[in-house]
Amino acid sequence: MANPNLSVAPPPPVAPVPAPRPVALELRDLTTVFPGDDGPITVIDGISLAVRDGGTLAVVGESGSGKSMTFLSALGLVASPGRVQRGEVRIGGAEILGRTPEQLRRLRGAVVSMIFQDPLTALNPVFTIGEQIVEVLRAHSGLGRAAARARAVELLARVQIPDPSRRIDDYPHQLSGGQRQRVLIAMAIALSPKVLIADEPTTALDVTVQAQILDLLADLQAETGMALVLITHDLGLVARYADDVAVMYAGRLVEVGSIEEVFSAPRHPYTRALFRSIPRLDGPVDEELPAIEGQPPNVARLPPGCAFEPRCTLGHGRADCCTKRPLPLAGDRAGHRSACFHADRLDQMEAAR
Amino acid sequence: MSEVRTASSGTDAGPPPALELVETSRVFTRRGGLFRKAGTPVRAVDGVSLTIHPGETLGLVGESGSGKSTLGRLALRLVEPSGGRLLVDGRDVTDLPKAEMQAMRRDIQMVFQDPYGSLDPRVTIGQSIGEPLKVHGLWDPTDSPQKVAGVMSLVGLDPSHADRYPHQFSGGQRQRIGIARALTLDPKILVLDEPVSALDVSIQAQIINLLQRIQRERGLSYLFIAHDLAVVRHVSHRIAVMYLGKLVELASRDTLYRRPLHPYTVSLLAAVPIADLRMRKRRRTSVAMGEIGSATSVPPGCRFHPRCYRARLVASGGGVPTERSGDALLPRACLMEEPALRACGGGTDQVACHFPETPESRSEVAAAVLQDIGHPPIRPIPLQSA
Amino acid sequence: MSATVTASAPPRRSSLMRYFRHPGFLIGTILLTAMLAIAVAAPWIAPWSPLDTDLGNTLAPPSAQHLLGTDQFGRDVLSRLIWGTRTSLQVAVAVMVLSLSLGMVVGAVAGFFGGWVERVTVSVIDILLAFPGFLLALALVAVRGSSLESVIVAVALAYTPRVAAVMRAVVLTIKPRPYVEASRAIGMGNLRLLFLHVVPNSLPPVIVVATIGAATAILAEAGLSFLGLGVQPPAPTWGNVIADGQSFLASNPVISLSAGLCIAVMVVALNLLGDGLRDTLDPQMRRSSGKML
Repeated sequence: MANPNLSVAPPPPVAPVPAPRPVALELRDLTTVFPGDDGPITVIDGISLAVRDGGTLAVVGESGSGKSMTFLSALGLVASPGRVQRGEVRIGGAEILGRTPEQLRRLRGAVVSMIFQDPLTALNPVFTIGEQIVEVLRAHSGLGRAAARARAVELLARVQIPDPSRRIDDYPHQLSGGQRQRVLIAMAIALSPKVLIADEPTTALDVTVQAQILDLLADLQAETGMALVLITHDLGLVARYADDVAVMYAGRLVEVGSIEEVFSAPRHPYTRALFRSIPRLDGPVDEELPAIEGQPPNVARLPPGCAFEPRCTLGHGRADCCTKRPLPLAGDRAGHRSACFHADRLDQMEAAR
Repeated sequence: MSEVRTASSGTDAGPPPALELVETSRVFTRRGGLFRKAGTPVRAVDGVSLTIHPGETLGLVGESGSGKSTLGRLALRLVEPSGGRLLVDGRDVTDLPKAEMQAMRRDIQMVFQDPYGSLDPRVTIGQSIGEPLKVHGLWDPTDSPQKVAGVMSLVGLDPSHADRYPHQFSGGQRQRIGIARALTLDPKILVLDEPVSALDVSIQAQIINLLQRIQRERGLSYLFIAHDLAVVRHVSHRIAVMYLGKLVELASRDTLYRRPLHPYTVSLLAAVPIADLRMRKRRRTSVAMGEIGSATSVPPGCRFHPRCYRARLVASGGGVPTERSGDALLPRACLMEEPALRACGGGTDQVACHFPETPESRSEVAAAVLQDIGHPPIRPIPLQSA
Repeated sequence: MSATVTASAPPRRSSLMRYFRHPGFLIGTILLTAMLAIAVAAPWIAPWSPLDTDLGNTLAPPSAQHLLGTDQFGRDVLSRLIWGTRTSLQVAVAVMVLSLSLGMVVGAVAGFFGGWVERVTVSVIDILLAFPGFLLALALVAVRGSSLESVIVAVALAYTPRVAAVMRAVVLTIKPRPYVEASRAIGMGNLRLLFLHVVPNSLPPVIVVATIGAATAILAEAGLSFLGLGVQPPAPTWGNVIADGQSFLASNPVISLSAGLCIAVMVVALNLLGDGLRDTLDPQMRRSSGKML
């Protein structure tokens, strides 16, 4: 569907570069393993990422790519028998990986919060939403019961729950899916965390509600300067809300860069193929979708070389792709990193096919 | 895209529609018991009429709670209609006895959303795929295994894996198994209930391509139920938009996505984020529209009026009788009168809105909204009298 | 899209191996196999006849000739216990088969078809469950007279509502599964659906309940025999041996204790087996051992 309107759309304005804001959350070489029948299985492998204050990092990947596991690992929430094998996790510059479970617990909620995909199971059905928000407030701050309740009403109003002073006494089942997700957001921002990790926050919601929730998160961010990590598989959401993108595949990072770089000139064949394979409202119709053939790999049985090699139209069968493991994000260029051996030659390689 | 035949049922001598629903309804009531009151009846599907032509894909979209899944099940009589007629291949099957209806299911089959749950974990996939033949008494020990192998290859499965169990396959492969199973009986119609929404993004395209190839090769008709408007746009010839049990718009793909008539369709399209940086931070995203209500308490008048931006704009523009509802000023018609689904724009497109095409209803909101999803400038179309 | 997709998961690991990696299942199976062997081989391995009395040698302490001594009629206790294994296993197996088949049908029909069928069945099950099973068995034996068959019928009847209740509950969880609806969509009728897809998927928890039920049956048989309402003396059953020995608990405790030990071992074996089955038949367990994370 050729669209004359779009061809005249101006390129993204080039803003004068401000001094970089401090890094809110940084992961370095984070690696988590689970015991398997034939030795440990590396579910996330050498993940290095950063998100700055007020910035939004989108982490994109399919199920099993390790995008949720990365942040569960960072927060010390990996379920046994999994464990973080190595790496560093810094929040506001302070290393948190070696801390005791109790210290980590205090950190979660207060400094870094997480919200999950399913807003119903994340709320306790036998307590009112008010009781649950008050509990969060009182557990981490010295607020009295009345003060905590007043703050809870404020928070509900902040996440645009209508008539908050009455709805605070509702039970989770009395709210719609979108409202439940708003309540979870209220709980997550109750203590003004520096970082909010949103794990597929809108996957269970209708598209109309999804837009409302993400607009709300963007507003909160603008207001408080909190950093947002948006774990998603929806490239539309990424384009609309993220500043930086990290693409994961089979527990490894394959591409990291600013939204402009990754969307306008993706430097990994997986990213390219993924962008092309998704039907879009403004895309062509009446032709086959360029699908990625094959299946996402099982992290317990990765090929010796590049994990994407078996499905890669460019690298499949190439000696280097089959045998050598790409170093985590080798072939760096300023800010835009790719784990492909041929990152600089993808255009030529595609043209040659 | 092949030209869609006009829905002039009965007037020309062309083949009958593959599937036709006439004023079909389904009301769910919770039965009362010793210690509980009977529940309020829920009109999950409320007088829906639509046709699907041979070889055509009709997309059915709407939010969860709109009744689109129930409608799909009504088409197979997996859920029995409370009212209206159901015609398969021109034949009225509404009142067929259960046994005959089961035989009728040879012509109309279903593919389910959940590729993990819709296969019996204890049955090998070969048995699963061959099961429809056995159920319908068509199993032939010499031919049928070949038939099963044929269907398996058709959907891209290795026939030598017929003796494996579902848990040995990935989600995408299981959806292929589900499709193969639906194809064993050579049906004429497939009801596809969110066939790709549980799959990984890289797998969705494979399954969409597969479904389209099968349709081309076999001339199947699809009722494609999905919430993903981009996927529906890619596969459908015509699209029906459902809201709280009723169709609010029924239009060919090109009109629906270029020039949506119903404010609900506009809002849905506006809410879809597009993976294109030119859209980035261009606007506050969608028309703020609240959430879908419950089918237990459908609003009076137009059921969309509590969320409708257009009703508010029309009312503030003046020239129509208005009334106050809560803190909003709305046209009286929207509050009092249920709009019927009627032809609009000269073609077969239909919309159920009191103000589908008045120029002033193309407010800055609608225009901005549409421009953001890449629409050409909007030209009003004269409203046809119903 | 012409390329054929291959299954990515490895072939299923031998399922038997999976069972035997569970210690409870392993121990339970070994014990039960041993019991079964003893029961089958009773005529050859029992050193004496279980019925032959030797009034010249009553209440003898354990000796080389009578490893567990003799009872008040001079019968060899070990031989009686060996033959008693037969009775106990017979009761266990028969009760399991009876209550399983009856309870499963009733429970499956109630859960699957719903409506008034379900309401009536559930009411009956609830009423039966409200009776202590042992009391119910007592009443039945009182009516039918005491014999091995009576004991089996009585215990099976007392246990059937339990199986039926579990079966119904399981069927209720299977009924809404997508593959049940998918089977309807291909045009499958109710009966076929029930027996091809619903019942097979309901088996694991019901089998567990039945295994534990078998243990209950052995206890009930012993209890009834002990009260003189079960298998009539002089037939060798564990319950009868305990009853015979009870008067001499102070002077010759070996008789009752050894029989009690037999019952305990059998019951523990069955319970271990039930636990093992519950763990290994659990689909969640299977999934985690079968597929990736």
